[in-house]
Amino acid sequence: MGPRKDAAMARFPIPLRNSLFRQYFLALFAAVAVPLLAAGGSQAWFGYRDQRARLDDLLGAEARTAAARIAHFIEQIGDQLAWMVQLSWTEAADERRRIDGLRLLRQVPAVTSLRLIDGASRERLSVSRTGLNRVESHADASADPPVLGARTKRAWFSPVTFHRNSEPYMTMALAGNRIAAGVAVAEINLKLILDVIAGIRVGETGRAFVLDGPGRLIAHPDISLVLRGSEDRTGENLQMLRAAIVAQGGGAVTGLDLAGRTVVAAMASISGPDWSVIVHQPVAEAFAPIYAAFWRLLGLLLAGTGFAAALAYWLANRMTGPIRLLEEGAASIGAGRFDHRIEIAREDELGRLAASFNQMAREVSVSQERSERIDRLKRFLAPQIAELVDRTGDDSVLDGHRVEVVVVFGDLRGFTPFSARSEPAAIMGVLGDYHAAIGAIVNRHNATLVSLAGDGVMILVNAPLACPEPALRAARMVIEMQATVQTLAATWRARGHALGFGIGLAMGPATVGRIGSDSRLDYTAIGTVTNLASRLCASAQDGQILVDSTAAEAIGSGVPLLSLGTRHLKGFDDPIAVFAVAIGRDADARSAPDEAPCTTLG
Amino acid sequence: MRRREILKGPAAALLGCVMAGAQRASAQPRTLPVIGYLGSETPERVASRLAAFRTGLADTGLVEGRDVAIAYRWADGRYEQLPALAKELVGHGIAVLVAPGGAPVVLAARAATETIPIVFEMGGDPVVLGLVDDLARPRGNLTGVSSLSVEVSNKRLEFMKELFPTADILAVAINPTSPTVGSQLVGLRTAADSLGVRLHLLEASREDVFEALFTEPRRLGIPGLVFTSDPFFAYRSEYLAMLAIRYGLPAITQSRDFPIAGGLMSYGGDFAQSHRQAGVYVGRVLKGEPPGDLPVQLVTRVELFANMKAASRLGMTVPPSILSSADGVIE
Repeated sequence: MGPRKDAAMARFPIPLRNSLFRQYFLALFAAVAVPLLAAGGSQAWFGYRDQRARLDDLLGAEARTAAARIAHFIEQIGDQLAWMVQLSWTEAADERRRIDGLRLLRQVPAVTSLRLIDGASRERLSVSRTGLNRVESHADASADPPVLGARTKRAWFSPVTFHRNSEPYMTMALAGNRIAAGVAVAEINLKLILDVIAGIRVGETGRAFVLDGPGRLIAHPDISLVLRGSEDRTGENLQMLRAAIVAQGGGAVTGLDLAGRTVVAAMASISGPDWSVIVHQPVAEAFAPIYAAFWRLLGLLLAGTGFAAALAYWLANRMTGPIRLLEEGAASIGAGRFDHRIEIAREDELGRLAASFNQMAREVSVSQERSERIDRLKRFLAPQIAELVDRTGDDSVLDGHRVEVVVVFGDLRGFTPFSARSEPAAIMGVLGDYHAAIGAIVNRHNATLVSLAGDGVMILVNAPLACPEPALRAARMVIEMQATVQTLAATWRARGHALGFGIGLAMGPATVGRIGSDSRLDYTAIGTVTNLASRLCASAQDGQILVDSTAAEAIGSGVPLLSLGTRHLKGFDDPIAVFAVAIGRDADARSAPDEAPCTTLG
Repeated sequence: MRRREILKGPAAALLGCVMAGAQRASAQPRTLPVIGYLGSETPERVASRLAAFRTGLADTGLVEGRDVAIAYRWADGRYEQLPALAKELVGHGIAVLVAPGGAPVVLAARAATETIPIVFEMGGDPVVLGLVDDLARPRGNLTGVSSLSVEVSNKRLEFMKELFPTADILAVAINPTSPTVGSQLVGLRTAADSLGVRLHLLEASREDVFEALFTEPRRLGIPGLVFTSDPFFAYRSEYLAMLAIRYGLPAITQSRDFPIAGGLMSYGGDFAQSHRQAGVYVGRVLKGEPPGDLPVQLVTRVELFANMKAASRLGMTVPPSILSSADGVIE
């Protein structure tokens, strides 16, 4: 497992399935997409139903219009025939009607022949486009079906017949209002409906056709289909279309046209000859507006859904991105990288949270630095002082000052020969006892153990913490120190180690403070007083405590001192007045319960 | 600026269409389907019929030179050359053979090929002539249009009888080489019996004997001449009209060209309609419909034309029965 993977796991400790991002994304996406899709879907469904109903209505209307136009074709012929049977027949030949008959043929191209029957059911006139005309044949027509039909129903239509099995014909008979006006019988070439039917358009490519009662095709824009005659089977699916419409109750249906295309068809009837006019339109064309609307809607829905997804992604990211940053930040700080900062440039709660987080990181960093510094200080400060510095969080007490300070030097006499001839364990044992004793006493007196080098020690009083009566305090400390070390020295001597202890104490102004770099830091006092104390220590005999005149003056009568006169000390031109602490009668000096606590230097 | 951008789209699309159309037009001449057109006469004589044919082609969206090429062969009235011309056309890789202008043409075409679709235009009955089995289902490589001209020669006799109700004999011009002459004569004789007239038959199959068609009735005192339906006569309407004027003989033919050129009357099928319909069928066959699926069409329109100037020149009055039923009266 590499470090990269560790990092990735630390960054995405939660599986995506449970992640906040996913929850936010799904919720936001659903909030937009679900209503959108629901609205779009219902719109599509109702739109389809409306369009479909409208299409049915439209096709129905087209069928009725087409039927009206076909019916008009028949009615026109009927009107012309009605003219021929307005007047009663007389016995005389009627030249006028012959001319009218010829004019009718000219007027109505679909009529190929016309017969006029008088009230007595005799044929009076027969005119034809192709056959010879007959006038006043007086042939008996009383049994002719058209004549009988017209006499009972006024207008009579024969079934459609296919001339030479190809061209559709129909006979129409019309009786006058009075029997004496007779009956007009016309043979109609239905091929001429072509002009009407070819003119009917439903939409772009939708057409109409006409079936007679038995379902034979009698009119179609493609006349060749009609001319294939009654035995042709191509018209079968047109009959099926009609059957479907009838079965459906007259509404529009979907079926196949002659070319096998799927069409929507509607029907209207022509009552007289009992024909059905059917209009049909290719489904693709009829539904084109529906499809167009559907695709448009689908496009909008897709765009909307895409937008919703993008929006949800953005919002979820906006929500969880900062959270992830915060998470990473917490992990970084947990790993000790206090310089880590979270960059969230936002005004909202998350922005404020990031700012607080960064503030926290800064503070943790500061306090960490401080505690590190204090840790370093603790090495040369008495625990109480260190704690004080620690508590106040301020190490400015360690900054350089010039202050009246008491410097104490002490070292073991005879240590060099001892260390030369003794075992390391014995040396370390002696030093251990010695240092423990010195350290305990220094701490008890709130002094500062500045240096602990082998058998020599350097101690400051009144720095870095200021104390009342530092000289007296120092004197009491050194007395106790001398007594304690002498007690130890007695045990050392008992083991054969010839060791003693001498102390020098001086008081005077010195510059105190930290010296050294971050890696090696010391606290010390620099000034004549340090040299003086050191020389006094060197000059002191075993068991002796030498004090300079400044300290002696400051100690006053607090501790009994003996003047030893003046001595020439190395490094000092003038003789120095030296005093010795009178040891042995020091029981009162040892107990100093009324010692005031030290305070930090101002 | 934005508006211009919007306009650019449709404009570019339109331009694209035009370019594509131009490319198609320029790319296609090598692969144009060829229509063989078997003409019995000369291009001048059939100009109006050819125009109608082209209209029919255009009804199906085809234009000569753009979508189809037409290879023409003209017999110039020498119908005996038709079989050879038909064979020549068939040998030229034509997609469809058009046989307009009568039975001799379609018979020559049928003799030339049994595979290439033939679309005919004629006056006779294609079933009687043995060209197709059935009008509704031609079932061969032939289909076409039949005008009613042949069937209505009896009506022409009737009109002539109406002009001369008292006449007991009328002249009838026949082309003995016409494949339909037999059936026409049967119809005419039946009609003559009903109308109570005798027929005086005059034969003509060459232009140089046309004069006799008019001089003979004059000589015999026959009041009127009835032409049987025959393309040979029909295509020579102007010449016949000129002769009719010269010899002052009332005559009726099948073609409206005759009264238009100064003859008295015509009654026959509308050739413009039949040729146009033939053009439509050629277009449909070219688009892949088998000719056997295309029923033979019968022309519905029969037209009566009368020239009143010719009537007054002949010193006769046209009865109202004829005037009232005439489709065209030339004043």
